[in-house]
Amino acid sequence: MSSIGDQKNLKTHWRSLADLHDLPEYRAFAEAEFPETADPGGVNRRRWLQVMGASFALAGVAGCEAKREEVLPFAKRPEGRTPGQPQRFATAMELSGSAIGLLVTSVDGRPIKVEGNPLHPQSLGGSHALAQAAVLELYDPDRSQNPVQLAAQGPIVHAQKDKWSGFDEFVRQHFAGVKERRGAGLAVLSPASSSPTLTRLRGRLQHELPEARWLVYEPLHDDSVRAGAKLALGAPYRTQLDLSSARVVLTLDADLLGSHPASLRYARDFARGREVVDGQMNRLYAVESCFTMTGSAADHRLPIRSGQVPAFVGRLLQRVQQLLSSSVSTPSGESHVEKFLAALAVDLVAHRGAGIVAAGDQQSAEVHAAVHQLNALLENVGKTVNYTLDPSADDVSQVESLKALVSDMQGGNVDTLLILGGNPAYDAPADLEFAAALQKVKTTIHAGLYRNETARLCQWHVPQAHFLESWSDARSFDGTYSIVQPLLAPLYGGRTGSELVARVLGDAVPKSEELVRATFKALVGEKYNESLWRRTVHDGLLTESAYPAETVTAAREASLPTEWSEELPKNGALELVFCRDASVYDGRFANNGWLQECPDPLTKLTWDNAALVGSATAKMLGVSSQTLATLKLGGMLLKVPVYVMPGQAEGSIALALGYGRTAAGLVGGLSDAEVPAVGVNSYLLRGSQAMYVATGLTVEATGESHRLAVTQDHFAIDKVGVHERARRVPILVREAPLDEYLKHPDFAQHVEHVPALESMWSEHVYEGHRWGMSIDLTKCIGCNACVVACQAENNIPVVGKDQVLRGREMHWIRVDRYFKGDAERPENVEVAMQPLACHHCELAPCEQVCPVAATVHSSEGLNDMVYNRCIGTRYCGNNCPYKVRRFNYLNFHEELKDANREISKMVFNPDVTVRVRGVMEKCTYCVQRIQAVKIDARNHGRPIDDGQVVTACQQACPAQAIVFGDLADSQSQVARSQQDSRSYALLAELNIKPRTTYLAKVRNPHPDLAEVPDPAEVEEGRAQH
Amino acid sequence: MKPLIGVGLVVGALYVVAVGYYGGSPETWRVGYSPRQPVPFSHALHAGQLGLDCRYCHTTVETAAFAAIPPAATCMNCHQQIAPESSKLLEVRETYANGESVPWIKVHRLPDYVYFDHSAHVTRGVSCVSCHGRIDQMEQVTQVKPLSMGWCLDCHRNPDPHLRPPEYVTNLAWVPEEDAAVAGKRVREQLQINPSTSCSTCHR
Repeated sequence: MSSIGDQKNLKTHWRSLADLHDLPEYRAFAEAEFPETADPGGVNRRRWLQVMGASFALAGVAGCEAKREEVLPFAKRPEGRTPGQPQRFATAMELSGSAIGLLVTSVDGRPIKVEGNPLHPQSLGGSHALAQAAVLELYDPDRSQNPVQLAAQGPIVHAQKDKWSGFDEFVRQHFAGVKERRGAGLAVLSPASSSPTLTRLRGRLQHELPEARWLVYEPLHDDSVRAGAKLALGAPYRTQLDLSSARVVLTLDADLLGSHPASLRYARDFARGREVVDGQMNRLYAVESCFTMTGSAADHRLPIRSGQVPAFVGRLLQRVQQLLSSSVSTPSGESHVEKFLAALAVDLVAHRGAGIVAAGDQQSAEVHAAVHQLNALLENVGKTVNYTLDPSADDVSQVESLKALVSDMQGGNVDTLLILGGNPAYDAPADLEFAAALQKVKTTIHAGLYRNETARLCQWHVPQAHFLESWSDARSFDGTYSIVQPLLAPLYGGRTGSELVARVLGDAVPKSEELVRATFKALVGEKYNESLWRRTVHDGLLTESAYPAETVTAAREASLPTEWSEELPKNGALELVFCRDASVYDGRFANNGWLQECPDPLTKLTWDNAALVGSATAKMLGVSSQTLATLKLGGMLLKVPVYVMPGQAEGSIALALGYGRTAAGLVGGLSDAEVPAVGVNSYLLRGSQAMYVATGLTVEATGESHRLAVTQDHFAIDKVGVHERARRVPILVREAPLDEYLKHPDFAQHVEHVPALESMWSEHVYEGHRWGMSIDLTKCIGCNACVVACQAENNIPVVGKDQVLRGREMHWIRVDRYFKGDAERPENVEVAMQPLACHHCELAPCEQVCPVAATVHSSEGLNDMVYNRCIGTRYCGNNCPYKVRRFNYLNFHEELKDANREISKMVFNPDVTVRVRGVMEKCTYCVQRIQAVKIDARNHGRPIDDGQVVTACQQACPAQAIVFGDLADSQSQVARSQQDSRSYALLAELNIKPRTTYLAKVRNPHPDLAEVPDPAEVEEGRAQH
Repeated sequence: MKPLIGVGLVVGALYVVAVGYYGGSPETWRVGYSPRQPVPFSHALHAGQLGLDCRYCHTTVETAAFAAIPPAATCMNCHQQIAPESSKLLEVRETYANGESVPWIKVHRLPDYVYFDHSAHVTRGVSCVSCHGRIDQMEQVTQVKPLSMGWCLDCHRNPDPHLRPPEYVTNLAWVPEEDAAVAGKRVREQLQINPSTSCSTCHR
């Protein structure tokens, strides 16, 4: 065995740079039995209480004390309602103008859990973390609750019983005047919306008030995508991809599996293409500056600066054209990029008609035009790439129209501004100085879920209804028409956007249900009848309402640079890329504790954003992780903590948007209540000229440091030193290239051989069900949908940044992200994701050490956790080899009896016990779901069918990487999956017989690009067999 | 030192006895708990004398975890005709009209961490009487069984004496013609009843 110390380039796995270099901060976590003991000293208690209060409050009083309790039945029970039984309703969630179909579980009238709608073509039953966290947002006590009017002496809150009367009277009077002027001086600024009802009302407004204008602004806009389509195709067509039949996929700064509006569908289709059929699987190339989920799933990832992508595409186009005309490939150069280009071009051409080239929002129109040309050249159009008409009414750039609005506001040409949601004072380009321009407008009205930064500057702010409280409609990325139906009446009496617009137009008491129905009537025309409406509401979508594919061809030669320079830009000429944040999106979810605490898929960072810097760049700049650095861009300065990110393109620095909120709420930052902002506001550096990619950045270390709450080193599985770790990690995450898998389908079983094991304990005998799980590492994209789904299903508390820093996060399922390769060479870094929850070992080490039998084995093989018996010795956590047990170091619920926060209790799942301080908890395989299915099946005398019991993580997974079921049924999906040749158990050598197993990861590298294995290693591998 | 140890031993012994007495006392388990209800509804009259089936009011008992307390509308089905002016029914009539709830007091209470399911029991031949006693003879509902974990487990471990053909589940006066354990065993085998004693059966 060669040691890792003297072989720096040995390809191996590591959790983080701290792990790779065996730094003290890693050892502190890996070697300690438990992160830190329960000393709350040093915790900013006030801050902790605020954070906690926003997510959870005190659970019901339990125990046998004789306390009077009332049972309050309905006077007349609604039809179909059984008290205590969950009901499911279809609805849809819209984000930046595209919707996904959802199925929301409601118990006794309160929605508690969000799932994807299996009927909906854009979610197919899967969901993402943002959708999963929607219920916490719904019950957020920091949401805006009353209309607020700004007066000279300060804000007036209209909290009386008919709180809308003042606003309604104002609207009636004010807009009568606006109407007389035919809308002159009125501007409506709205976030992107696909709602046909809002579009209809917008048309009505522009008809009745022809002088008024309506514009759309999204901070994460797709201006260049639309401009590129217009350049190449003549109109801003929308590109629809079919990843299920694609063999070769190239993404250029495009996160198809993560941030794309159709990511759920794409993740499912991509995962299907990863199933090895007839020795074939798809191959994904990702060319990007900042690590995305797509990049982490890629077979080949080329980290280059976003500014180099145009030249990369230019050269690719040249090579493809040459190959197509002469079918002789130009010899590839020596550099890695040249080799990559050569292999990629050959692959794309070889798979003509089954390839995809896609570029992301931050790439220029010219790159998008070239991508359309490439897809046309490669005959992908009409097969894997289709075009549909762009539904949005504007044929203009969002940024340009916002610029025009702001200059009119400055010039005094706008006297009424209606902001229908959104937060432009916070997220508009910094150089526009939107907040200052807002002061020049006589009448400003803001509607929104929160009284945010913009709302505080407007004369009127009114509460908007949450989508789970609203009647509305929306279209998904492919155009499927969905109905948004309310799960409950607005908690705080908010109104929907369409109700507000209808009122502005003079409707007396507009009802959004009627508005939506009227749109639906017009949409379906003669086919309309009550049963069609009811079915559409019930199903959540109108079948076959997707946009039809259009026949268009790119008829334009792209003009892109082809000069390539490998030179690293100097400090002062660095590139800054603004990216969407996986947790807070553009900042709108900043007050959501579940999302703030959900580790970023790649950086594993919680409660912060950071400047992501590559290794070599960090060395050049003299910064390291947790250094506080000053970023200088175009005269603007911003102090940001640095995070050295393996795989980050050198010379390019990535910074997530959406942090540094000052009026988000008690979780995300509220300066009125002296709650510091979470993270830094990167919008301050974002100008209208460079919305996604800026150059000319200077980075200077300030000498200060900032602690980042990164979970990647927490709950590390082994603690036996860097050498042993290097040897062991490939045993934990087993992977092989496709050709090796084809030669040795059972490679995963031969990674390590252990002698026949004998049990020290008498083994359990199972007569009935044997529940088990299988997780496919080839399909997992690390998106965190399972993490938040589990949090919602199992009443898992939020602990706050201070506690995360101590390693006390409570997530029952975590996604371990391993890096592989040479940290000094970003192009060499690969990622493997491994979701990990309790493995429900048949010979569970935790059970054997519990002194009070608080964790015991069930007759079906579940490792039951009995909270009432637990006395908190934590022996079980200590003895768990997977590190999946979580201890309640503090009482995350009881200290929060604040009446103002009581509403947050509504998010609790009544079928799961709420835990208190001093007890251990962990994944239960969603035992409440198992019991519900079992009881129902037995009541009806039926057997339980395979696939009936679905765990929360499994249900959320967009890629269907998780399979759960009964191992006693040899034909069940999970049993077949566990018998697959790729299946292996983690730490099988301990003879603990885990019920969860993994399917080894198979990658599909291009033969020309595959790393040649070290002959010494191959030799050693043989010797081991 | 010595007297201290002596005192300690005596106090310790007293403490053990006190805990044992308190823990085992029926009051601890609320046996005999019989709160006055806002409406003096008599089960003895309705279920006993009039012979109404339990499920006429507790409609969800065979399909759901909760045997739901009936809405005022159920009372009004009859009481629009029968005793429509009765002062005892004032609260029922009022809530029926204004849509509010009658604030019934819960008698049989389990801790929040116990997930009992009525449907799982009544569809498998466990009669109402096993846990609730002769409700059909009670003017005011009283808790008669301890509803403790040990008491639940007694039956889960040895279900036979407590099982009856499911059609007699709501017949509280029913007695088997033969030995209860023999009759119950037949039901258990017929319905393949295999009660679980795993913790997660009731605790989640």
